[in-house]
Amino acid sequence: MGSEGLLERCREAVLLAQKLGASAAEAFGQTIESVNSTVQKNDLQISKSQLETAIGIRAFVGNRVGFASTNSLEQLRSACGDAVALAKMSPEDPHNVLTAPTDIAPIDGLYDPASSDFSAGDAVKRSAEILSLTEAIDSRVLVNDAWFDAAIHDTAIVNSNGLSASERGSLFTYGLVATAREGDRVSSFDFQFDATRSVAGIDVATPVRRACESALASLGAEKGESFKGSVLLSPSAVSQILVGLLLFQLSARNGLRGRSRWKDAVGEDVAAKEFSLVDDGRLPGGVATGAFDREGVPHEELTVIAEGKLRSLLHNMYTAHATGGANTAHATGGARSIPAIGPTNLSILPGAAPHEELIAEISQGLLVRRFSGNVDPISGDFSGAVKAAHLIKAGKRTRPVAGTMIAGNVFDALRSLSGISSERERVYNLTLPYVRLENVSVTAN
Amino acid sequence: MRRLLQGIATSASGWIELRYHARRSKRLVVRNGQVEESSSAEQVGVGVRAFVGGAFGFASTTDLTETGIRRAVGIAQETAKTAAGAKRNRIEGIAKVALASGEFPLRTDDPLDRHSLEEKLKLVTRIDALVRSSSPHIVSSEVSYGEMLDEKVIATSDGASAHVFDAKPAFRVLAIAGKNGDQTRALETVGVTGGWSDLFAPRSPEETAERAVRLAVDQLNARPPTGGTAQVVLDPELVGLLSHEAIGHTVEADFVLGGAITAGKIGKTVASELVTMCDSGASEHIPHAVGELPVDDEGVPTERTVIIENGTLKSYLHNRETAAHFGVAPAGNARAYTYANEPIIRMRNTYVEPGETPVEELIGGVKDGYYLRGLGQSGQADANAEFMFGVREAWVLRDGKRTDLVRGVTISGNAFEVLGSVDAVGDDFAWEQGSGFCGKGQPAKTDGGGPHVRCTLTIGGEQDG
Repeated sequence: MGSEGLLERCREAVLLAQKLGASAAEAFGQTIESVNSTVQKNDLQISKSQLETAIGIRAFVGNRVGFASTNSLEQLRSACGDAVALAKMSPEDPHNVLTAPTDIAPIDGLYDPASSDFSAGDAVKRSAEILSLTEAIDSRVLVNDAWFDAAIHDTAIVNSNGLSASERGSLFTYGLVATAREGDRVSSFDFQFDATRSVAGIDVATPVRRACESALASLGAEKGESFKGSVLLSPSAVSQILVGLLLFQLSARNGLRGRSRWKDAVGEDVAAKEFSLVDDGRLPGGVATGAFDREGVPHEELTVIAEGKLRSLLHNMYTAHATGGANTAHATGGARSIPAIGPTNLSILPGAAPHEELIAEISQGLLVRRFSGNVDPISGDFSGAVKAAHLIKAGKRTRPVAGTMIAGNVFDALRSLSGISSERERVYNLTLPYVRLENVSVTAN
Repeated sequence: MRRLLQGIATSASGWIELRYHARRSKRLVVRNGQVEESSSAEQVGVGVRAFVGGAFGFASTTDLTETGIRRAVGIAQETAKTAAGAKRNRIEGIAKVALASGEFPLRTDDPLDRHSLEEKLKLVTRIDALVRSSSPHIVSSEVSYGEMLDEKVIATSDGASAHVFDAKPAFRVLAIAGKNGDQTRALETVGVTGGWSDLFAPRSPEETAERAVRLAVDQLNARPPTGGTAQVVLDPELVGLLSHEAIGHTVEADFVLGGAITAGKIGKTVASELVTMCDSGASEHIPHAVGELPVDDEGVPTERTVIIENGTLKSYLHNRETAAHFGVAPAGNARAYTYANEPIIRMRNTYVEPGETPVEELIGGVKDGYYLRGLGQSGQADANAEFMFGVREAWVLRDGKRTDLVRGVTISGNAFEVLGSVDAVGDDFAWEQGSGFCGKGQPAKTDGGGPHVRCTLTIGGEQDG
C-alpha cells in the first residue's frame, strides 16, 4: 500500500481508539514485502515471498496504557477496542506519555529504488552464489544453512499529539552457517552474516570467506591447556561476551527496575581508557538506520562511553520522563510489540594497533572466535565453551583447541582490558574490533 | 475455511499444501508492582507451499478471499519453478502417508477464555507482590503470563483436511536478589498445552514464586564451583534439555543430511544401554506437555518416535520430504511458527524414558560431585553434539549428601559421550521446558523432560593461579 497508505491506516486507528474511549493514542504501522531463498545441506532448500502489513495501537486512558496489534486490517476496530479495554484494566502510571511532534530530517540512501525489481529468482541466484563461492574456497567446507533475504519496509507512526511520520527502506541480509569435515572429524560450526541497503552493495563473498576460514581453522582441534591469562576476542566473540551486558546495563529501563549497576554511574569510569562506545541511528548504510525511533523521536548520534567514562544511558519516552533525563531516541520494536529500549547502530571505537600486534604481546593466551556460554548481565559473570579457538604462545598464534572453557567477569574485563584493535568488523548492527582481556580463567577439558 | 481450502487444494495443478493459521495471543507483564505490558495480538493468514519440478516454493497472504489465496498459490508455484532451475539435487518426492482429516479440538476441562484477562492480571500482580515481600534481599521482581491460541486448517492436494485447535499458556517468575553490591537472579517457569488449571497443575503460582525467591537469595552466599570433570545428577529439565538441544537437533533429518554427527549411525551404539530417548506428539507419562499436537503442519498425524533404544540409535526425525529420501514413514515433526513460515522439521516432546533407580539412590551414590537443576541463562549445542549449558541451581554432593550451593555453573561436553557415561536412570518423570521456545530460524513450542539421570561431564568454573 506504500508509506502514504500505511500512514492513512495509522491515522484511522488513532481516531478509532479515541472514539472507543482512549484519551490519547499512538499507531505504529509496518509493511514488509520480502523475497527470500534458503540453502540447507549444500543445496537450495526453498524460495519464499511474503507481503504483510501490521499495525500496533497503544491506547491511553489517562495514564493507563494498553496495547493491541493486528495484521488483519479489517479487524482494526476490534484491535483498537482491545487496546482500550486493556488500558482500562491497567493501573495508572504517570510516566506513560506520548511523544510531542518534532521536525524529523529524512535520511538519504535508506531506500534503493532498484530493490523493487529484485525478484525471488534473484534471491535464488544470490543464495546459489554463496554455495558456489564456498565450494571454490575448499571442498571440505559444508554449508549447513545459508540464506538471502531482500526486503522493502514501510514504517509509519501517528499519534494524537499530532505526530505523523513515515519512511521506506530496503534491506538485503544474507549469511551462512558452515562446518568443515575431513574424514570423521567435524569442525565447530561458524556463523557469518552481512547486510546492505542497496542492490549494488550486496557482497556475499565476505561472509563466505570468513566462515570458511573459521571452520577450516578449527579442524583438527585437540585438547587445550588450563591457565589464567590473556584472551583475545574476535569481533564475533566481543558481540557474544561483552555486548549483551553493555546493553543490559545501559538500558535506562533496567536502571528503573533496579537491575543496572550503572543507573547512577553517568560521569564515572566503567571501562579502561581505550574503550569508547557510540550509537548512531543515522549511520549511512547501517542496518538499524532510520530517521525516527519506535515512538517517533528523531535519531541522533550518541556518545555512550567516552574513554572509559559513562556518558549516557539509552532512554525512551518512559524512562526519560521517569528519570527526568533526556530522551536519546532508543525506543525499539515493531508493530507487534510495545516500545522497548535498545541500540541502533552501535560501535566500539577502534584502537591503534592491528590485532596481530595484540597477539604479538601475549606470552600465553587464547584467541577466541566464538563463545557459547552464559553471561550474567547482572553479576557480570561469564562462563562457557570457546569455539574456533587457538592457543597463543610467545606472541604467535599456534594450534586450534577444542573442549576449552573460559570464565571471568565482564565488569572486571571492561576495566582491565589491555588492547583494542585498529581493524573492525560489522556484526549486523554492531561495528566491533578485537578486544584483549586479561586475567581470564581458561580450563581445558 | 476448511471447505474453501479443500476446494482450492483439490483443484490445483500439481502438489500444493494450504495452511490457514489464526493466532490470538495475550501477554501480561508486571515488574516491581507496575504493569509493564498488557497486550493482545492477532496474526491471521494463509501460507501456501507448492512442489514443482523437484523444488518447493512458498508464498503467504493475508488476503483470505478465494481470489487472494489462489493468487498466493500462483506465486508459490512460480517461485518453486524458479527454485527448481537452480537446485542441484531435485527433491525425490513427498512421502505418501495416511493424512489427517476432520476436527481436532483442544483437550482441556478449563479453557483459557473461561477466565477473564482481569483475573489473569490480578494473579500476575499478586504474585509479583508476593515475590518482593518474601525476602528483604529481593531487589526486583518480574512476573509474566502469556497465552497463544491457534486455529489452523491444513489442506493438501493429496488429501489432508484437518481443522486443529491449540492453546499454550505460560507463566514466569523472575526474582532478583541483592546484597553489598552483588546481585543474583532466578527465573522459574511453567508452560503447558491446555487450559488455565492445566498450567498450574505441575505447581501452583505461589510455589513457582517461592522457588525463584529462595534460589535468588541463596545464591547471594554461593561461590563459583571448581572447574573440571565431575559425576553429576541431572534433574528432569536438564535431561530434557540434553535430549532436545544436544541430541535431538543432531537427529533432525535435515541436519543429518547437512552433515550432523549422527549421519550413518543408525543401528550403532551411541549411549549407555540404560538410555532410551524418544520424541512424541503426545504427552507421554504426564499430560499437557507443551509440544503436544495431534496433527503436524503437513497434515501428518503425530506419533512417538524412538530415537535411541537401550543405547542404540534407531531413528531420525522427519518431514515428508526427508521421510521419502530415507524411505521411512513420517511421524508428524513438520511445523511452521506462523502462517508466513513454511513447515520445517521440529521436535515435539523429547525425553528420556524413566528407569528403575529411586532418585535418593542416584544422589546417594555420588561420592564427590554435583546435583544440577534446570537451565540457567543460556544453552547451545553444535551439529557435532558438543554442548554448553548454564545451570540454574547447582549443589555440591559429598558422600551422597547435598552440601554447598554453588553459582555460575556451566556444563559442557559431547552429548553422546555424556549419555555413554550414564550409570543410573531415575524412576521419576517430569516435563520441564514448557515456557520457552526452540529456535531454528523460526520459534516453536517444544517440551523436554525425563527422569533424574546420573552421568559424568565437565563443569566450568574458576581456575586457580
